[in-house]
This record gives sequence, C-alpha cells and structure tokens, in this order.
Amino acid sequence: MQRKIFFFILCLATALAFVACGEKTPTPEAEGPPREQAAAPTPIDQSTVGSITGKVSFQGAKPKPARIMMDQDPVCVQKHGGQAVFAEDGMVNDNGTLPNVFVYIKSGAEKYTFATPSTPAELDQDGCMYKPHVLGVMVGQTLSILTKDPTTHNIHPMPKDNREWNMSQAPNAAPLEQKFSRPEIMIPVKCNQHPWMKAYIGVTKNPFYAVTGRDGTFTITGLPPGDYTIEAWTATFGTQEQKVTVGPKESKTLDFTFKGA
Amino acid sequence: MPEAPERDPVVGSSLSLLIFIGALLLLLATAWALYDEFFGLRPWKRYEAEFARRYSAFLRKEIPKQADAEKSIRASAEYQQLDQRLKDLEESVRDKLEQIDSQTARIDHRQSAVTDAYTTARAYVNSRIYVIEHTSSPRSKRSLGADLDQYKRGPFELRLPPLESGGQEERVKFSFDELEAEFNRLRDMKARLLGEKAEILRPISELRKQRDSYVADHLNGLSAEQLRGLLKKTQSSSLEIRQINNPDAGIVDRCESCHMGIREPVVLTAKDMGGARDPMARAFTSHPDMELLKIHDPEKFGCSPCHGGNGMQVASVRSAHGNYEHWLWPLHPRANFEAGCQQCHASDMVVDHAPALSLGKELFEWRGCMGCHRFEGYDAEPEALVSTQQQISQLETQRHETQIEIQRAIQAGDNAPDNESARAFYTQADALRVSIGNIDGRIDQLTRRAGNLLREIKKVGPDLKEVRAKLRPNWIPVWIENPHAFRPTTRMPRFRLDEDELKPVAAFIWQSGIDGKLPAQASGDPVKGKESFETRGCMGCHSVGEGANRVGGTFAANLSRVGEKDNYDYLVRWIHNPRERTEPYCPLEKRDLTEQDYQKHGLPFVFDLNHAKCPNDGHELQIEQMTVMPYLRLSWQEARDIASYLETLKEKDPSTYPQAAYLNDPSLVAEGREVVKRYGCAGCHEIAGLEQEGRIGTELTKEGSKPLEQIDFGLFVKEAREKDWYSHKGFFEHKLQKPEMFDEGLIKAEGEELKMPDFDMQPREVTALTTFLMGAVDPTLPKRYFHLPEGYGRDVQEGWWIVKKYNCMGCHQFTVGQPTALMGIPRYQTPEWKDQLPPKLLTEGARVTPDWLLKFLSNPAMSDADTDRNGVRPYLKVRMPTFYFSPGEVRKLVQFFQAMASQPIPYIPQKLEPLTNQELALARALFTSRAAPCLKCHATGDAAHDRFATAPNFLLARDRLKPGWTKRWILDPSMISPGTAMPSGLFKRQDDHWVFSGPTPPAFAGYTGDQADLLVRYMFEITPEEQRRLVGMSGGARASGASLAEPSKNSANPGRGPVATRAPRFIGAYRAEARRY
Repeated sequence: MQRKIFFFILCLATALAFVACGEKTPTPEAEGPPREQAAAPTPIDQSTVGSITGKVSFQGAKPKPARIMMDQDPVCVQKHGGQAVFAEDGMVNDNGTLPNVFVYIKSGAEKYTFATPSTPAELDQDGCMYKPHVLGVMVGQTLSILTKDPTTHNIHPMPKDNREWNMSQAPNAAPLEQKFSRPEIMIPVKCNQHPWMKAYIGVTKNPFYAVTGRDGTFTITGLPPGDYTIEAWTATFGTQEQKVTVGPKESKTLDFTFKGA
Repeated sequence: MPEAPERDPVVGSSLSLLIFIGALLLLLATAWALYDEFFGLRPWKRYEAEFARRYSAFLRKEIPKQADAEKSIRASAEYQQLDQRLKDLEESVRDKLEQIDSQTARIDHRQSAVTDAYTTARAYVNSRIYVIEHTSSPRSKRSLGADLDQYKRGPFELRLPPLESGGQEERVKFSFDELEAEFNRLRDMKARLLGEKAEILRPISELRKQRDSYVADHLNGLSAEQLRGLLKKTQSSSLEIRQINNPDAGIVDRCESCHMGIREPVVLTAKDMGGARDPMARAFTSHPDMELLKIHDPEKFGCSPCHGGNGMQVASVRSAHGNYEHWLWPLHPRANFEAGCQQCHASDMVVDHAPALSLGKELFEWRGCMGCHRFEGYDAEPEALVSTQQQISQLETQRHETQIEIQRAIQAGDNAPDNESARAFYTQADALRVSIGNIDGRIDQLTRRAGNLLREIKKVGPDLKEVRAKLRPNWIPVWIENPHAFRPTTRMPRFRLDEDELKPVAAFIWQSGIDGKLPAQASGDPVKGKESFETRGCMGCHSVGEGANRVGGTFAANLSRVGEKDNYDYLVRWIHNPRERTEPYCPLEKRDLTEQDYQKHGLPFVFDLNHAKCPNDGHELQIEQMTVMPYLRLSWQEARDIASYLETLKEKDPSTYPQAAYLNDPSLVAEGREVVKRYGCAGCHEIAGLEQEGRIGTELTKEGSKPLEQIDFGLFVKEAREKDWYSHKGFFEHKLQKPEMFDEGLIKAEGEELKMPDFDMQPREVTALTTFLMGAVDPTLPKRYFHLPEGYGRDVQEGWWIVKKYNCMGCHQFTVGQPTALMGIPRYQTPEWKDQLPPKLLTEGARVTPDWLLKFLSNPAMSDADTDRNGVRPYLKVRMPTFYFSPGEVRKLVQFFQAMASQPIPYIPQKLEPLTNQELALARALFTSRAAPCLKCHATGDAAHDRFATAPNFLLARDRLKPGWTKRWILDPSMISPGTAMPSGLFKRQDDHWVFSGPTPPAFAGYTGDQADLLVRYMFEITPEEQRRLVGMSGGARASGASLAEPSKNSANPGRGPVATRAPRFIGAYRAEARRY
C-alpha cells in the first residue's frame, strides 16, 4: 500500500514539475549601452616621445605656373599692385621640393585621445588669396577666419563628412569662428565670388600633422613610440603613404617624392 | 482437507490497479488541462508577464540614467543662469508681493465683516421690492415703499477691521447705500491688487517655464519622472488580451497581447529587452518607425491591414502570424513588409517610408512590365485616349439628338394653340440650343485632351519603324538573340528565341521599317563631343562603361557599345531632337502618313506641334517619337560632335558582325509577324501594323491575392511546399528570376511555352517588384481608408508620376538627401564642378510663381529665337531640356511644385511697396558698393560682366520669384538649399530689422528701414535700363579678353545680350526650327 502511495506522490510530483517547468528566459542584459562622455586625454610620457622630419621633393617636368587673373574684382587686382599672381596648386619650390603638402598620421595614433587645442587655427584672406593655402586643424578646434581685403568674401568649405556651410564675410568684419566635428582629409574651401581662391583644410583627431613650406620640409614632433602610417597629401599630385616605426626619443627621417606628369 | 472456499470476489479481487490507472489518467488530464489553460492556449500570458518583468527591469535601469542626465542638465551653466535669473526675479519682487498679500488679507478681513451685513440687508431689500412689485393697491405700495426707505436708512452698525496695517478698528454706522458702496469698493480694491499680483508674477512664470523646458529640450528621451510613471503602469498592469477593435473596417487585432512594446513611448530595442538573438526580446521592441504610426493611428488602421497575419489569433505565434495554409494573408516577411502599404497606396508612385515598394512601382514602369501586363494606374494614357474618344462620339450623338429635339420643339411651338404654350416651346428650343453650346465646349475640351494624350503616351522601347534608318542590319539578330550579352544592364529582355524564330523576327522587323532617307551629316569632333556628352546632362540618364566602371544614370541605355549598332546620320538627328519622327502616325487610319498624303491636299510635308492634324481627316496625329528623351536644344554642330564621340564607343568593329542577308527575305515576314505578335513586342515598341495590339500578359492589379491554386507553379508545387516557397512571394521571386522554369518537365506544343522573357534583374529589383506584387491585392479595407487625398496631397500624388516618368530626379534634388545621377559622376566631385550641378528643387513651389513655372517648363530657353541656352542659368553647362510636356503634364507639374511647398494656386502676387526716390538711390548704392557681393556672381546681361556670372539675372526676379521667398533666401540661403553657392550671413539683425552685415554706403546713415526688404523691393523693380546703369556704376570697366583658369571655362555662355523675359510663344516653334536642317 505504501508503495502505491509513494508511486502516486511520485506521479503527482512529476506532473507538477511538468506543469511548473516553464521555459527559462534570459534576463535583460545587465549592462546598458556605454555612456557618452568626453574622454580624458591619454597621458603620454613626454620623456619617450620622438619625431619625424622629412622633405617632399618633386621629380619630372615642373608644371607651368598657372597665372590667376583677378580682373573680375578690381579690388583684388589693386591689392597686388599689378603684380602677377600664380595659383598655388601645382606649384613647385625653386629647390625642387613641394610646398603645401599636408603630412599627417593616417593610422597608428587611434589609441590615443588628445585634448582639443584652445588656441584657434587661423585662415587669412589677403589679396583675395587664402593664407595658408593648406592647413590642419584638430577636431573641435576653433578655426578663425580673418579678412584683410576691402571686398566681401564668402567662405565655403565643401566637405564630404562634415556639415557644409557657406558664410559671407564683409570687409573689416570680425573673424568668423567655426569648428569641424569629424576628421576629414581634406576639405576644399572656396570663395564663390573669387573662384580662384582655394584652400584645403585637414581635420584630424591628433595633433601630429605638418604642412611643407617653401623649403619643402616638414616636422612632426611629440610622437609616442609606435608604428605609424604617414600620408603626404597634395592637391595636384595625389597622395603617398609610408609606414614608419618610431622608437623612444627617436628622430626619424622620412622623405617623399612625387612625380610630375 | 477442507475444500478451499471460493474466493470471495469482494474480498479477493482488487480493482485498485484499475482505479489507480483511472486516477492517474484523471490527474494527467487535469494537469494537461491546467497546462493548456495557462500555457498551451494562452501563450500570450507568458509574453505579457515576461514583458512586464523585462520592461520593468529596463525602466529601473533607465531611471537613474535619465535622472543623472537631468541632473547634469540642471548643473549646466545655462540652466544655472536661468535658475539664478528666476531666483533673482523672485527675490526682487518678494517684498512687493508680500505687501500685496498682506493688503489682500486685510481687505479679506474687512470684507468678511461687510459681506455678512450687506448680503443680509440686500436679501431683505430684494424681498421687499418683490412684495412691492406684486402688490396691486397703490396705497399699500406707497406704505411698503416708505417702510423700505426707512429700512435702507439704517443705520447698520458695523465694526470694521482696519485697512492700513497697525490701524484701529472702526465702528461705523452705514445706511444701506453706504454699505453697498463699501462692499463694492472692497471688491474692486481686491480685484485691482490681484491683477497687480498677476502682472508681477507673469515674467516669473514665463521664466520658470523657460527653465523647465530647457531641461525637456536638452534631455534625450523621457524624464525620470515620466519613466517612473511607466514603471508604475507596467507593474500594475494585469494579464489580459490587448486588442484593437475597429468595427468600421472590420479590424480585430490582438497583436499587442504579445508585442507589448510596440507603442511604448520609449525606444525599445531587442538588446534592451533581452538580447538581439532572443525571439521574445525581438517581439518586445517598439515600432521601428514611430513617424509612420503618427500618420497611421493603430486605433484606426490596426496592425494586420499593413503587416498581414491573423490579428484575431493568439493561440500560437504561427497562427497569429497567419503562416498556415488556410489563412490567405500571412505576415509579410521582413524583406517585403512594405507590401502592406500598397493596398491603400495604389495611387501613389512614390510612397514615403517605403523605399522598396516605391522602387518596385518605379520598376514596373521602367522595366516595361506594363507593356504586357495591365496594372491599374500604369500606362493609363492609351486607355484614357480610348475612353476620351468614346466620350467624344457619345457627345456627338447627343448633339445630333438635341438638334432633332430643337426642330421638334420649334415645330410644336409653330403649331401651338395659344401664344403661352408656343412661348414655352420656343423657350425650350432656346434652352436646347444653348445646351448644344455646352456640348460643343466639352467636345472641344475632349478633342484637345485626346491630342494631349497622344503626346503623353510613351513607349518603353524605341520605335522599330525607324530601324532601317537607325541601325546596322547585322547587329539586329545579335541583339534580339541575347540583349544582355551586348549590354548587360539593358531593359530589353531575352526572349529565348530559337533559330527558327529569331530569323523571321529580325526579317519582319527589318522589312516593316520605314524607308526614310536621312540627310547625310558631316562628321563632328569626338573630343568636343565627349566633353559635351559629359557636361550637358546626358549622363543624368545615360551611362557609359560597364560593371564597376559604369558612370552615369541608370534611367536610360548604357551607351558603351552604341558605336557598334547605330548609323551616324540617324544618331545626329536623334541627339539633336529625339522626338523627331520620319513620318507621322494617324491613329484613325492606323498607318503612317507619307509625303503623298500631304501632296494630295497640296500641303507641304510638315508635321509638328503646330501642324498636328491629319491632312486626310483632320484628326490629331502622333507627330512625336514616343520616347521620354527630351530635346536638349543643342546646335547641329554639337549634336554631330556628340554623335561622333558616341560612334567611337565600341568593343569591336561593326564590320565583324556576321552577315544577316536573310533580313531582306520576304518569305520570312509572315512568320516573323506572328512571332512578334505572340511575344507582345508591340507592348514596348512601336511596330508598323501592330500599333493597336493589346497586352499579351495577365493583369496584375490584384495578383497578390490570387489564390495560390490558380497560380502556375507547373511541376514545382511539391518542391515549393517542401522548400517553403509555395507562396506568392516564392512564386514572384522565382518567376522574376527565371520565368521559364515553370515550363520545366511539361510537354508543350511549339508556341505554347511561357512567353515571359528573362530580365536578368538584380536581387534588389526582384525584391522590390516582389514586394510590389505581393501588395497588389484585392483590398481588405474599405475604400475610404485608401490614400486618395484631396488638394495638395492629390497634386503631389499626381506629380510624382510625371517626375518619375521623365526622370527629373536624374538631375534635380526634390527632397533633402536624395542623390541625383549627376551628383554621383566623378567630374562633379570637385568644388568647381559642384557649382555646375543643376539647381535643387527643394522649395521650388515657394520660390517661383506658378505662371512663370508654367512658361519655363514649356520653354526652358525662355526665348523663341535663341534656344541654344538655359533661360534662367545660362552659366550652367548642363542643359535644362525641352520635354514637350502636354498642357496637362505641365499643369500637373506646376501644381506638384506648388503643393510640395503648400503654396496656393492661383498665385496672387504680393504687392510690394514701391521704392521712394531716396530708397532707390540707397538700393543702388548698396547694390554697387564694394562690400555688397551681389553683382560678383549674378548675371546682368552685360557680356563682359557675365563671363564670370554664376547666378541668375536679377531681371528674372519680378516674373519668376515670390518676394517672401526671396527675402528668406537672401537672409539664409543654406536653410533653403543646403550647399548652395550663395553665402549666408549677408544680413544681421539690428534692433527689430535686418541690416546688411558689411559696411553700408554713407547714404544709409539714418535709414531705419529693413535693408533686406529694401533689396527685395529693388530686385522686383529692376528694369533692363536700371541694370545697365548698375553695371556702369559698379565699375564694369573690366579688362576684356582675360581668361580665367579651369572653372569659368565651363561656365561661360558669352555674349548673349539681355535675357528676354517676355512670355514665349508655345514650343511648336522649335519643331519648325528643327526641320530646317
């Protein structure tokens, strides 16, 4: 008899277990999406940083400088006092090097975060030309646009990844302050009223960039040791990249050579 | 040994086993019943409980996050500043408020003392007055009146609390009138004080509102408080069926019994609700397109009308989703869920929020499906033409009958017995005569409509009557055999013709062609031609290069190998004006008219928009090629250059094609004609003798709800069932990919095989068309649920059909972010070329007046004589072509643009205040000042100046623009056309008006008017003389002959004199011009 009762209870228990046994369901994930917050700059040991210097040279037939005719706006002509003005795109220095080459870290610095510089970068308009012709700013850094011309300009960057804007700037107007929120190589800038006016802005997430000058050289300093891909960008001759390893306190030399048509 | 007693069945045998088994069965049955009650039949209960658990967990996690976010917003400087201002303000008025409050309190105090006495007295007085009024005897009245006066004299003794603080209690004796005056005085004093208080509090409450809305504006998502409310609601919710019940449309949808998160006011992703892989978590997400729900209230539309599925079912996921054999509307699969939009949006060509469906709708037209398959709304012009012609003939009969009735009425009048009834008959006759005028008016309208329809009918493929002039014969069979081998992206499908069919077809088409001789063309410059081809806008529709190298639009043919097929002379004429025909077609006589038909009537062989009547019978002729390709108004030389360039596009030499001598074999024609008819070639092509052929395919308007048993799966029913594609979706996908597969294994006689050709569609196209066809159902909703808007909505709906028909979007942007074909071309990536892109039409209806737009669309050159240019933007290399829209199409387009911008038609121009002489001088000075950049870009009509122009002439403003838009434009053009060359920031706000940002000329000293308004008013007054004057003033003495680097070379259209703004005659004139080779 006892066995029967036992069996009965067993059946009941099984049945109850069967009823009670629902499907196990996962609980909502404990972690939410990572919260957005301004990341603090990565600490960099200044005693180990190295640098890269180099020269960008040009081989082949020098392109004929393209003369800019400013007669569309007499104010611009007057500013140059009758001097001929030549386009900076495609210009080659007398020593066979290239000016206006934007040299920057294409990859290798992603693991670092940098503070946004508090000093603004400057783009000047003087003689209906942008000065400098090529410049770099960091993401979020203020770009201050000045004018020294007694004519109205408009500054019209035509980015792919950033927001496009187009602002008028009258003579003697206060500097125009703008920022770019996303890295982009390079943003062409034009003035619709003076179509020869061109500038290029490189927006980067790190401060490691340089623009070659009249001597064709560049220097990038303060680099933490590591492997980097460096790209040299030109408006007319394309881009080139090189890989480089910078050791602690090392000063690397890195030259680029662009070829003409 | 005693005999063993017989076993007593009561004692000896036991039924316990049976009873036990019975009990066990009973128990199991109970358990099963319980299980089924709670879980088996009601799986939604588990969903509801689980949702409440997970959602609560989610909310609990979110609340502190949002609280933190709110806290940090409250900690922000801006908020703190607002808060401080609020506190300061509150502080500054506190004393005053306290004063008011205490004063009010004292008034209250005194008032309560007065009120008591006053109301008692007033009640008594009123009651006495009532008695006096109702007393009839004058004596009684008098005595009662005297009593009342006595009462009113009082005195009423009162102890009144003081009104000033620190004052003494007063003891007063008032008469009733004094008492009333005191009562009223106190009431007014209190009202005044409260008003004063409200006035003081108003800025405070406004600031508080501003402060509080600052939090709401800067907080992403709901506030912690709101989330707590949701949490409370969720935790107190009970397990119950949640259903939408709309008896009006027969909708009962219980979907939300499981999909509980659908309408929650927070965004719930599967990840939030338990992980992207968990099916339950996926069921708990919120609706992915809340905007869509806003315009389709679920309480009205339910869920299943859009999504499919069996909304009433809750027994299992499978049954609720309708994925079983006996439910005809299964849930639309993810890839095709937009199919659900079609039943209500059948009249729309473009359905917002449904890109795949919209693509499907577009493809149905573009791919030429409608050439063989009727589909309500598509290619409606031929049907409309037939019905218009029927209406005309009905009206003509009616006219005839009316005339007979008039005769009868007159006769009856003549013979009437008396003048009165005679007059009645004559009046009746007059009324009938007038009604004939109405009939004539309608016939006139319909006749014109018929003419318009003839111009609106377009064919998907080219006119095959012109093959002899157009094509190299040897290419034809190669093409027909496999068009994709020659041009992989072509719309022309592969018909799987065998040799016996191919040769007759090619021979028939060749021999049915018109023997038109075209004038020989001199050769052009292919280098210039390439430049023209790439910059005039050809690539808005056409592409060159194949595969990854393909550049240009996908709307029209890829021209990579066009040099292998086309005759040069024909190509020149085609490029110059593709609408030009060799012979006009008469729909009445059903044949092409020849020169002899005209000669018979002594007429020159001229047919164009001005000469569109048949010389034999006066009926409207088809005088155009039925192509959507427009007239680009290029010079003959430029057409020759482009044709020369296109002739260079080839992979192999045309001479290497095998000879096809049989093309001229007359014995093949009869058979070829039969095959061409059988395959329905005339659905897409104009073919001599087959112009009136009907469609050969089945109508597809309701194909999505055709019972599966009636759909021809051939021998694939079993396989389809096994592999889970025995469905409409499965059929459409397989049919579109490989139409002939359903013939496999079947024994069919020659000519009875499936005719649908192979289109070589991209998977994306198959999905889009499948979605469209799945949605093409017999509607389950009543017609009043369909999207058949009135007013602006209807104008937009109708306009999209035309916009898509002519591929306006190949060049123009209609909605922000919409890519155009030209934008994607490498050439247009540089800053210089970006400014050469056609204008964006984002606010076109608000920008231009409808009258002007109508003229412009009819004649984009804005001139009859000088047509080789753009009427508005002569500096653009890309050409706005002449589309020869019918009046109906132009009207729809104009209404479309106005409706897109919610602008009323007719447009009544805004009256602008005329400029005073002083203002005129000011405007001139500003316009020509060095700081004002207007004339640096905008054209003036002065050739030397306009070499550099990159913006339209101001002379156009008056007729073309709306003043309100113009002001918004000059204030901030980037708000209207992001990326425009026109800069922002030209004006700044000063006090309450706009002033020019740059230095203004000295004359402006003291001018307080709105300077943006001033310029707009000036722009709308500019005359050609005024403009010449301006050019002179702005130092137009610019060195001529100076050339600029690259960009301006492309922009100049030099030496064109002032732009003509007079209304152009209608466009037929081009045709006459076009005929003068």
